[in-house]
Amino acid sequence: MDTFASLMHGFSVALEPSKLLFALVGVFLGTAVGVLPGIGPALTVALLLPVTFKLDPAGSMIMFAGIYYGGMYGGSTTAILINAPGESASLATALEGSKMAKAGRGGPALATAAIGSFVAGTIATLGLAFLAPWLVDIAVKFGPWDYFGLMILAFVTVSATFGDSPLRGLTSLAIGVTLGLIGIDKLTGQARLTFGVPELLDGIEVTTLAVGLFAVGEALYVASKRFRDPEEIVPIKGSLWMTKEDWKRSWAPWLRGTAFGFPIGALPAGGAEVPTFLSYSTERKLCKYPGEFGNGAIEGVAGPEAANNASAAGTLVPLLTLGLPTSATAAIMLAGFQQYGLNPGPLLFAERPDLVWGLIASLFIANTMLVIINLPLIGLWVRLLAIPQPWLYAGILVFAAMGTLAVKASVVELSMLFVFGFLGFLMRRYDYPVAPMVVGLILGPMAEAQLRRALQISLGDPMILLENPGSAILLGLAFIGLIAPFVMSGLNRFKASED
Amino acid sequence: MLRSILKRGAVTAVALAGLSTAAFAQLELKIMAPAAPGGGWDGTARSMQQALTASGIAKSVQVTNVNGAGGTIGLAQFVNSAKGDGSQLMVNGFVMVGAILLNKSPVNLSQITPIARITAEAEVIVVPTDSPIKNAKDLADRVKADPAKVTWAGGSAGGVDHIMAALFAGAVGADATKVNYIPFSGGGEALAAMLGGRVTAGISGYGEFEGQIKAGKLRVIGVSSGARLPNAPDAPTLKEGGVNLEVLNWRSVMAPAGITPEQRKVLSDAIEKMVKTKEWAEILKARGWDDAYLGGAAFETFLKDEDARVTKVLKDVGLVK
Amino acid sequence: MNQDVTRSRVDWPALVVAALLLIAAALVFYDARSQTIVSTYGLGPTAMPYLVSTVLAILGLSHVVVAFREGLPKPEAVDSNAILWLAGGLIGLIACIGLGGGFIIATAIVFSCTARSFGRQALAIDFGIGTVLGLSIFLLFSKLLQLTLPSGPLENLF
Repeated sequence: MDTFASLMHGFSVALEPSKLLFALVGVFLGTAVGVLPGIGPALTVALLLPVTFKLDPAGSMIMFAGIYYGGMYGGSTTAILINAPGESASLATALEGSKMAKAGRGGPALATAAIGSFVAGTIATLGLAFLAPWLVDIAVKFGPWDYFGLMILAFVTVSATFGDSPLRGLTSLAIGVTLGLIGIDKLTGQARLTFGVPELLDGIEVTTLAVGLFAVGEALYVASKRFRDPEEIVPIKGSLWMTKEDWKRSWAPWLRGTAFGFPIGALPAGGAEVPTFLSYSTERKLCKYPGEFGNGAIEGVAGPEAANNASAAGTLVPLLTLGLPTSATAAIMLAGFQQYGLNPGPLLFAERPDLVWGLIASLFIANTMLVIINLPLIGLWVRLLAIPQPWLYAGILVFAAMGTLAVKASVVELSMLFVFGFLGFLMRRYDYPVAPMVVGLILGPMAEAQLRRALQISLGDPMILLENPGSAILLGLAFIGLIAPFVMSGLNRFKASED
Repeated sequence: MLRSILKRGAVTAVALAGLSTAAFAQLELKIMAPAAPGGGWDGTARSMQQALTASGIAKSVQVTNVNGAGGTIGLAQFVNSAKGDGSQLMVNGFVMVGAILLNKSPVNLSQITPIARITAEAEVIVVPTDSPIKNAKDLADRVKADPAKVTWAGGSAGGVDHIMAALFAGAVGADATKVNYIPFSGGGEALAAMLGGRVTAGISGYGEFEGQIKAGKLRVIGVSSGARLPNAPDAPTLKEGGVNLEVLNWRSVMAPAGITPEQRKVLSDAIEKMVKTKEWAEILKARGWDDAYLGGAAFETFLKDEDARVTKVLKDVGLVK
Repeated sequence: MNQDVTRSRVDWPALVVAALLLIAAALVFYDARSQTIVSTYGLGPTAMPYLVSTVLAILGLSHVVVAFREGLPKPEAVDSNAILWLAGGLIGLIACIGLGGGFIIATAIVFSCTARSFGRQALAIDFGIGTVLGLSIFLLFSKLLQLTLPSGPLENLF
């Protein structure tokens, strides 16, 4: 009841007309900047933070919430429309979303992303308001061994993106993990596989690999078969909006995505990637139209996008309750708080409840505002696809180069974009799936670091992975996930022989 | 030590004749932050930009970011392309001294011209409140008894936190090569490992743990400065706890090699003037940084000593061969 | 897309992939071998590379087997003209940035070459469009977002 009253007080702060205007401006700016490829939510917030300094703390916080959610949504727009995920968390969205966009279903894809973000954001923010103190106690108990279990579980689910050849899928994944080895080893600080190139010391940027494989590779592939098999991009086919059928297929993935995203996002090293992968593969397994997956299934956009947004609200749990910045965006938010001499953490709720609850209330408002602003814009975004094909792809390549340069302005980085683009092209020609490679690059280093931390704490005793209930359960689930496909395929063969 | 630095800084300040503001007004500077936007060095560079232009010391200041490999990529670019240019500056610090060694960087700080150290932050060693370790002596005893059983959480391998852990082991007479230091990515993760009781002790800049210390979730074992911190008078120094150890995570400004003594003087004077402006004082207060100005020959000596100390530690813990 | 056509001949693309995977495995192995620093506790920095190297080698050998059996899916013929224009545009982009030509000209190069690769025959007009696009992106970045994109002669005018 106490929480509820505080929240209402928060709303009374955030609902003043001037504050609503700040939220509106924030959402608009966040979407506009976040839509630029290569500029994910973290950079969006970092770039726009100075704008908010000119306001009073409450106003700034509210505009900030708008920028945050706007930036998140803007990132998924790029992923869906031009297949250039601006950050690793929109990778899963790009897989099905870009296929939908090409088939004239960009409207429903963007709509399910927006509404799914709204649903997930709202539920997760409620979770933040009511469960945060309880959740955070569990979250800090998560040790390196538990994270390792979670990563392995995520690894097992990657097979959902393998396509129809396990050998080619595994090859793609293995190359991704190999790329993940490049750079400074986190635990000893020494360089691996850098061959004396200093630019490689920081490792391969996920966005460079993803944009290279996805956007550049796709452009090369489409150009290569232009005469034989010209690609038809239909901006709008059928309804621009979600049909009744779309709604029916979206609501459950939204909720499941939220269920993955919020708790994992609340873990200090959970991140947004793992829940989006878990959501993607779950939806793929549960989908009633499995043939559509890989060709633009709406579940594959609805689930990961909800997971992404819910995890963003989840990262606010450790930030507000403990002052732990667990993502790049959260670290920048922390800087925003400190600008006003506020230190998020256990004392903030007691010392400045008006601000904390004002922020939580403005998260609700920003979320609502986002849907109101962006649904009408969908028609406009989709029409971008009606640009003549030569200019469309020329523009995509310009944005790909821009995104790469915005992250790291170096010739080495651009050359990698080029090499990855060609790799993506060749992989498409020989039917190797490209997504597992990016997943391997993201998960490989995370899993390795957590395993090594776990073994460092246990002084080399691997039993620590099975002695802790958390990691034992997660590894058990991963093991079941690993053998389940064989059991399932046995069942399917049985069914098929009956037909 | 902080106080003595301040005193020394003041002496240097008097020794160097200040120029009038008018002489600087034509100054157009380029400051390189060898880090991504949003990081510590970037914050320092942009704060300098703010203070230098707002106080009229410089006409314009442009900040460029070259990130990567603990700043050594930026350093390489600065060494190669800024040579002899009296209008360029670079922000760097303690972390870069270690990064140069760890990354086997082909260029090092001897190839650029030191101007001044400007800020410093003390490190702090903490344990969870429910830990049986109460003070520096308890921790020292445990490290001496079995360094493997004492797990340390902190930032990246070979960074200031890691060096501090190794120096602690060395200072209490334990084997520094046996230090069980676990690097975490970012202060947030290390802090979570502390609060979850996964590790014995944690090391970070004081500011990073301040909230948790004040909330009573973490206990201070010792701060690494010579005297107690003004904003944390209750936190004992390591020296008080019987561990003879001082570590400061300092940030400095340097100029390219090959500049003339006149150019060097203009830059040094500009920085010296800047640290005395009220704009700079306000920034330090807002950001929670300590003024640690140290210019001229004193800074060069300091730099040499730090370089020797870091090299020795990194060799001791086996990170550099 | 799996083609279950049994061919008597060797599938060369699969053999090339196999060779590349084996080379990668050797590189990773060699790099791990040359590491000098080991962790005092737990797993060292070489454990994962050795594992990855083994997996790459197994995958490489599997590709050899595949090469002598069903082979890789047979791709369609390539419009090499289009690929050359597109690749040329990207190389032009890298060269332009590398040689200090700046972001705007680089954008114009990549834009016009890509459009050409997709069948447009108006290189000069597209170069103009690309320049305008590059200029607006550059201004957006430098003036509104305070981010510096690579600068050349054109950028220094602003």
